[in-house]
Amino acid sequence: MPDRPSGPTGAFAGPGPADVALEVNGRPVALRVPPHRTLLDALREDLGLTGTKKVCDEGTCGACTVLVDGRAIYSCMTLAHSCAGRQVETVEGLGRDGTLHPVQQAFIDHDAFQCGFCTPGQVMSIVGLLRENDAPTAEEVTRAVTGNLCRCGAYPNIVAAGVAAAKKQR
Amino acid sequence: MSRIVRTTVEIEGRMSDELALVDGKDLPGWTGETTIVGARTPRVDGAQRVTGRARYTHDLQLPGMLHARFLRSPHARARVDRVDASRALTAPGVRAVLHRFNAPKAAFRGEETIFRAEVRFVGDEVAAVCADTAEAADAALRLIEVDYEVLPHVVDLEDAIAEGAPRLEEKGNVSVSGSHSRGDAKRALEQAAIVVDRTYRTSTQLHNSLETHGAVAHWDGERLTVWESTQHVFGVRQGLQAALALPYSKLRVICDYMGGGFGSKGGIGKYTIVAALFARMTGAPVRCVLTREEENLAAGNRSATLQRVRVGWKRGRISGLEHLSWSNSGQGRWVADPTGPTNTLYDVKDLSTKSYRVVTNAGALSAFRAPGYLEGTFALECALDELADRAGVDPLELRRKHHARTDGVMKVRYTQKRLLECYDIGAEAIGWSKRKPGGTRGSTPQRRRGMGMASQIWFGGGGPPAYATVHLNPDGTAVVRSGTQEIGTGTRTILAQICAEELGVRVGDVRVEIGDTDAPYGPISAGSLTAASVGPAVRLAAADAREQLLGAASGLMEVRKTELRVEGGKIVSKGARKPIKEIFDELQNYTVIGKGSRHPNPAKVSLNTFGAHFVLLEVDTGTGEIFIEKIVAVHDIGRIVNPMTAASQVEGGVIQALGFALTEERVLDRRSGRVLNADLEEYKVPTVRDVPPIVVRFTDVPDTKANNLGVKGLGEPPIIPTAAAIANAIANATGARVRTTPMTPRRVLAALAERER
Amino acid sequence: MRPFSLARPRSLGDALRLLGPDTTAMAGGTDLLGLMKAGVAEPERIVDLTQVEDLQGWQRERGKGVRIGALTPLAELESSEELRRVLPILPASLADAATPQLRAMGTVGGNLLQRNRCWYYRDDAFECWLKGGSRCFAREGEHQYHAVVGARECIIASPSDLAPALIALDATVELRSARAARELGVQELFVVPHGSQRREHSIRPGEVIVSVRVPEAALARAGAFAKQMDRKAWSFALVSVAASARLKGGVARDLRIVLGGVAPVPWRAGAAEAFLEGRALDEAACARAGALALEGAEPLPQNAYKVPLAGELVRRTLLSLAQ
Repeated sequence: MPDRPSGPTGAFAGPGPADVALEVNGRPVALRVPPHRTLLDALREDLGLTGTKKVCDEGTCGACTVLVDGRAIYSCMTLAHSCAGRQVETVEGLGRDGTLHPVQQAFIDHDAFQCGFCTPGQVMSIVGLLRENDAPTAEEVTRAVTGNLCRCGAYPNIVAAGVAAAKKQR
Repeated sequence: MSRIVRTTVEIEGRMSDELALVDGKDLPGWTGETTIVGARTPRVDGAQRVTGRARYTHDLQLPGMLHARFLRSPHARARVDRVDASRALTAPGVRAVLHRFNAPKAAFRGEETIFRAEVRFVGDEVAAVCADTAEAADAALRLIEVDYEVLPHVVDLEDAIAEGAPRLEEKGNVSVSGSHSRGDAKRALEQAAIVVDRTYRTSTQLHNSLETHGAVAHWDGERLTVWESTQHVFGVRQGLQAALALPYSKLRVICDYMGGGFGSKGGIGKYTIVAALFARMTGAPVRCVLTREEENLAAGNRSATLQRVRVGWKRGRISGLEHLSWSNSGQGRWVADPTGPTNTLYDVKDLSTKSYRVVTNAGALSAFRAPGYLEGTFALECALDELADRAGVDPLELRRKHHARTDGVMKVRYTQKRLLECYDIGAEAIGWSKRKPGGTRGSTPQRRRGMGMASQIWFGGGGPPAYATVHLNPDGTAVVRSGTQEIGTGTRTILAQICAEELGVRVGDVRVEIGDTDAPYGPISAGSLTAASVGPAVRLAAADAREQLLGAASGLMEVRKTELRVEGGKIVSKGARKPIKEIFDELQNYTVIGKGSRHPNPAKVSLNTFGAHFVLLEVDTGTGEIFIEKIVAVHDIGRIVNPMTAASQVEGGVIQALGFALTEERVLDRRSGRVLNADLEEYKVPTVRDVPPIVVRFTDVPDTKANNLGVKGLGEPPIIPTAAAIANAIANATGARVRTTPMTPRRVLAALAERER
Repeated sequence: MRPFSLARPRSLGDALRLLGPDTTAMAGGTDLLGLMKAGVAEPERIVDLTQVEDLQGWQRERGKGVRIGALTPLAELESSEELRRVLPILPASLADAATPQLRAMGTVGGNLLQRNRCWYYRDDAFECWLKGGSRCFAREGEHQYHAVVGARECIIASPSDLAPALIALDATVELRSARAARELGVQELFVVPHGSQRREHSIRPGEVIVSVRVPEAALARAGAFAKQMDRKAWSFALVSVAASARLKGGVARDLRIVLGGVAPVPWRAGAAEAFLEGRALDEAACARAGALALEGAEPLPQNAYKVPLAGELVRRTLLSLAQ
């Protein structure tokens, strides 16, 4: 018996694959995945969007940060099914027609990464901040990336890049 | 013409005499001002990284790819008597299971097999499953039945040394791994007016590279291609050759982008072998990537140490220095020797050092950014400050006074040593003249303020073998090829700069292709040796390409070669500047290939890097919290190729050192041998808010004797002295000496309480 | 993570109806999914409450204080300028809670019901007392982060920063199940694991927290919050302190001093409160209250530092309350 999709009535779906419709980087996406599939695994494995990284897989490092309805969250601790009807934005959705998003450009200009593995998450956290606050202070940028660990220690440059990107964007 | 040279090769402080093949003649250093080398240059691979397009090993998704996962020992020590995988094999999606009773022999780190009969730490590999998905493989792991005969274990360094500890190796748990002595330390200490005799402890630090160790293997019937997150593609190839007994012609290893290694990714892991074995068995690509927990159990660590330093003082000078050290190597077979800096950092006549390896039932150590030197510098530099305090002299003055002009072990001079200049720059930048013995008042009634510093010595001279080619295209663009790796240090960018500088083209016209064993050999990206090893080879390759280009241009333009040069992508002759492309349009297609090899280092001199860190901080004496206000990091590494990435590297080193100094500590449960914080929650790497303002300075004087670029390495130096400088500043501020890292509120409070007793 | 079935109801009625046996309610998921990934929790069915209407947001209700929907994200409280004016210690308690992403995901109800952080509890290899075993591994093993006071068979430390703040404000929680509704003081939501009570919360199967209410009287009280971590951010508290009092002419009344990180539950410093009642919050009184804060503490070798640390933090929090 096929599992029913989770609907407004709130019946149970799963434990096998079930349909879920969401929006990823502005495009509608239909997935058929079990309820325990995280958004992170759905992005990386089902949609091939590997810019979002899996580092701790338990909500402690921020490498998997994406925006859901405009807010930065950890995709490893979010179920894909919980994103039904929501807008998901990943690093691949930034920038247009081959030009970089101002935050991405500022990361290059300020050398805000070394190995680059935390970078997509850092970028998304700052993009999320700038949506709510277009003139953040260095302290506010710092707070915004508090949940994004960088093992190479690019932090001073990440903060500088965030502040510079905000200035440029205005 | 190629020739064989004998040369001393140093990697991470370990010396060996090797033969190397070199080509032609080396170039003299650049005489005039360079325009590209030395300029702040944004990373050439930046756009790839900020867009998420950079392809890391983790990101590789090949058609039909299978997934391998390990079953790991839940016991710290046990005999594996029986493995029954029959239920796992019938689970959905499972393709194969390997364990000690069915796996083929595969040599790995001196053992014949990757699945031991006696598992020796929690996390040791017991079996591996290959399945259609990682989830199916995980589910199947739970169906494997294993009979263990549990054996007595010991995981803690001091427990393992203690009498009555379970004996883990026939020779016992403790063995001497290195020693050095000169003069008569014992007598000098006996005759000293003051003797400081202190014990220091450093905790196990976990690398926690954000990209965990992992490999994807694909056997196409002819050739095995392995993508691995590694610091050494050629090392991985060598490891696979040994494990699988395949000829080199059938092996290719690729590492395009990698998410951090910090020393832990120097060669293959069991995951590499397992991926390769399963790929051969199934004919499909196989991915084997560690989880965060596995990373922190079985992929290396910086050994915990117990160190005793005795240092004497007589008539205004150090009189005798003795340094004994014990390292918890876990199941590792070597020691990252902490006594290295003691042997060479200062001019001390009577000295004796000895280092011991202690075996325990914990995961093996691996190199971790300045292995041993960070730990040893903490003990040495704290002890020197304790001595300065007792002798009533300024700690910086004490260090100046004992400045070593020659290498005390090798008994030779340094090619260049500007440590005194580092002291001057750092003292000025931190305001050392304002330092008061006993510290000063802090910004709140319970805070005390203090300053501390520490010095650093490291290697970083690099050497052969390292090779590169520069391919020149008819449009004036160039491709650098070398089998080195980009581990986040900016290698692609500095190699592009060096090529562009020598060839006469723009950085944007150079593409750097690295991380592939189908390219000329490149050394391991470790030991701060990449810039000084691969860089000079790239310069020679670019020069070779330029000479060939000018030869051809001379013929086409009918101008003597000596009247031509290349500048900004144009061929310049008297009164004319023509883009390379225009001149070569007639030729349609051709390839100029310049070749370069790293020539030997100068003989009978020591090649080292030096630096000093200065710290200004406050200590909250009520809570034990440390508030660092400023860190000044000054380094002497010869010429700076890219001031932008160099500064980033120093900041990164300092920040990793902050973790070692203040927050990072692997916690083991002694009874079970389990790591309790194999995660990024309770294992606390610094966050953005843990980072104080960091001032980075370089002496930036080319070391002309070192190599044709005058460069030395920077990967390791900046992590070495920070922790000691912090401890010294805490002691200056409060009079309390914290002798154990990390210096957490708990330990600072304990030291403050001890001071009051 | 073991596969499960998921429902995402829109109404509270549907949610309560779906919460049958072997069914777990999930709010932000930041704690539950972690426990499930660790193999410590394995529910067969999950009811995701994030779509349920009327559980979000907070309002000031005339004469009845402040009502906070249980599904309100922590970030919403932390960043609210208005709440900072009305109930400053709530945003203050959240400023250093977890990370911005976790505060955006995590909810008020979920924060109160989060499980402890004991590393033995969260490792499924240890069959500890709280999980039905017979031993507390932390007591015999590594316990630098564990409880120093009020613990019985199990020495977990209460992890929430928000709970001490809410208790200091005399807050209550409204609980609902398919059959009944009840109200509890936030303090009564927490249970010291002991005897047959191998659990941390008094919530019953099938119940969910619907809202949290801070009474009108608490709005007039001064409040202060402090948290000590061993990293500058993104750490659970070594010790946290929330304090509130009515201050009149320099004299404190109706004091509440509540500590996190020191006991299996948010810990009321009763002796310190009693000592200060009717006194001026001067240096000497605050210092004395700090010394009394963990009266009866029974620290273990590795966590003894928490006792003086808690005393110092209480002293400072009370002094800042007076300012």
